[in-house]
Amino acid sequence: MRRTTRRAAPLALLGVAAVFLSACSGGGSGDDPTDGAPVDTDAPVTISVGGMPTTENPEQRADFERQVEDFSAEHDNITVEAEETQWEADTFQALLAGGTMPTVMQVPFTEIGALIERGQVADVTDQITGSTVLEQLNPTVMDVVTDADGRIYGVPIAAYTMGLLYNRALFEQAGLDPDAPPQTWDEVRSAAQTIDEATDAQGFGTMTLDNTGGWILSTMSYAFGSTMQSDDGTTATLDNPATTEVLEFYRSLRWEDNSMGSNFLLNYDDAVNAFAAGQMGMFVQGADNYSNMVVNRGMDPQDFGVAPLPQTDDGLGTLGGGTISIINPTATPEEIAAGLEWIEFKSFLQYTDEEVAVANAEARIADGLAVAAPGLPVVNEEVNEQYLGWIDSLINVPRENFELYLSTVEEIPLIPEPAVKAQELYATLDPVVQAVLTREDADIPQLLGDAQNTIQAALDVG
Amino acid sequence: MVALDDPPTAARTRARPVRRRPSAVAWVRRGGLTTLVFFLPLLLTFAYFSWWPILRSLVLSLQQTNFIVTEWVGLANFERVLADPLLLTAVWNTTYFTLLAVAIGFPVPILLAVLIAEMRRTRGFASVLAYLPVIIPPVVSVLLWKTFYRPDEAGLFNTILGWFGLGPLPWLNDPDLVIPAIVVQATWASFGTAVIIYLATLMTIRTELYEAAEIDGASILRRFWHVTLPQMRGILLIMLLLQLIGTFQVFTEPYIMTGGGPENRSMTLLLLIYRYAFVSGDYGRATALSLLLALALSLLSAIYLWATRRWSTS
Repeated sequence: MRRTTRRAAPLALLGVAAVFLSACSGGGSGDDPTDGAPVDTDAPVTISVGGMPTTENPEQRADFERQVEDFSAEHDNITVEAEETQWEADTFQALLAGGTMPTVMQVPFTEIGALIERGQVADVTDQITGSTVLEQLNPTVMDVVTDADGRIYGVPIAAYTMGLLYNRALFEQAGLDPDAPPQTWDEVRSAAQTIDEATDAQGFGTMTLDNTGGWILSTMSYAFGSTMQSDDGTTATLDNPATTEVLEFYRSLRWEDNSMGSNFLLNYDDAVNAFAAGQMGMFVQGADNYSNMVVNRGMDPQDFGVAPLPQTDDGLGTLGGGTISIINPTATPEEIAAGLEWIEFKSFLQYTDEEVAVANAEARIADGLAVAAPGLPVVNEEVNEQYLGWIDSLINVPRENFELYLSTVEEIPLIPEPAVKAQELYATLDPVVQAVLTREDADIPQLLGDAQNTIQAALDVG
Repeated sequence: MVALDDPPTAARTRARPVRRRPSAVAWVRRGGLTTLVFFLPLLLTFAYFSWWPILRSLVLSLQQTNFIVTEWVGLANFERVLADPLLLTAVWNTTYFTLLAVAIGFPVPILLAVLIAEMRRTRGFASVLAYLPVIIPPVVSVLLWKTFYRPDEAGLFNTILGWFGLGPLPWLNDPDLVIPAIVVQATWASFGTAVIIYLATLMTIRTELYEAAEIDGASILRRFWHVTLPQMRGILLIMLLLQLIGTFQVFTEPYIMTGGGPENRSMTLLLLIYRYAFVSGDYGRATALSLLLALALSLLSAIYLWATRRWSTS
């Protein structure tokens, strides 16, 4: 009997394994949901929507629930299931693998390129055409969700451009005019020196970890006059004079002026904390960081300053950022249509309905959040002005401090992120930035040449 | 020994080998069903949470998937892993980390345990002190040390160096200091467990052995060398192996403290796997490298056990 059990045990295991394996292969390939019959927008459909505010923001959560109710009342055939799911790089793939990704969820601008590339986001072109949403959207922002063939993969619901964030209090302490932020890189350099000498803070800073080093280096390269990749995404162009100039700029501030502090392993949180705490005078970041600094990290609203990203004579523009509502790649055409209805209702009704605009703003104020923080309007100028007019009395952000940024935000061209393998590009550039900041003898041409080869090899593999 | 260990029934079966055909009824009658029912939860738990993920990663390593459309690609993932120039960097960093972590982290707990064992009244207090760092959640202790390692004059270590007119050192910002700095933190965070285990082993060593050695005129060092170490050799061998495997999989410390920087000088194998999976969304490559690592560690363990079989107690 012993022998039998001994022999039976592996057999049983194999059986278990076989069951699991067949279960696994069943989930392998899916049919393409975008082709086939025309969409029946009246058919009953259930969608799940992510991004419900968590319980620590009760007013916002109640507001969200109210919106779900209102939406359901208006759309008899659509059942909405709200959930708190938010974008996390670590969990998104698991959501997809486990089939639990909500029909609609939000992702940052930085991720959409990779999602489109990997086919992990629904093509909404057919359903979005004819929607009022699209007509109201800022075309420069729409480019971010449109691929080379003109197909659309999401709806941008909030946007900003990368700018020069500066601490107005430190500017004053150093005897600089906070209402006249630096507009050239030479001015940035001298302001950094002044702040470094006159205050306890470091003058300028840049992030270097978790791909942020490459991200900011790319942004700066745009401002100095070059992109990092050919438009079709087949050729890496990061070994270029503009990027070299940016790295030389870093080197001057680090090794000649010593105005960049002493820690050069900074991730996003480190840099944002240092800035909000008044330990860093300036750094390049998204202009939307107002809420993050003031609401989340307790910075004095009057200290937060944002200026347009300075451009050299060859400057191409700046990188954009923001939030995009995307739809689950396995959604049926009906679900896509319903999802778009929801996105339009949730994020754009405030631009067409004064009551909603005011109610949303009031809910934000009740939760201690910012109303009308600086950013790039996702709707066209006319609609945006009207919206700002409706909520004028509720604005709790000192917009007069961002005058220069707000008045020029539409003038500086928005350059999209590298189309292919942007995150790998950034990851490869992090060590380059770290090298320049930690080694005085760092060989910039050599570093860029090596990075260029690495990325080109990655692009060639496809 | 053998006769003592074997239960009487087994001895009898061996004495009279009765070849009966296995019958289901007999099996049930002998309590086979009950055994199975008790065994099943364990089997299912292990199958679902251990073996199934292992199988799944085997499958994933041969696939290219976005979790919607899956494609079999054979060994292409392994080829891409081996072609990555960062792999060599990660292997070197991880090996360096492991050697250093074992060189520091292996003898320190043994010596501490021997010292604590010598204490009479304060033994309990000392072992609590030694174990304290283990109780702090890893992320908290790593973040704490990250601020200790601040590269400016305000950092804890630089302040201490400053008292002696030294520094400030860039610590984690220095390509040559980063791995040793992480090793010190990792050793601090984990040596308590080893101390407790060694202490428990030391308590089981019979005092007569020490007394005999003392009568023979052996010094403290000789007693340690000829009595303590040989008596502990079984546990020492196992702990060394566990430490090798554990340190080879270092992730939390570099992930939180340095993100692999500066210039990939603290990029470890697990960090690279993490980057493949969660930065590039390339699960095929991530599982391929994971399997290679598992294979390497299995080989290492096998070689280790074979090479040390003469010294092991069992």
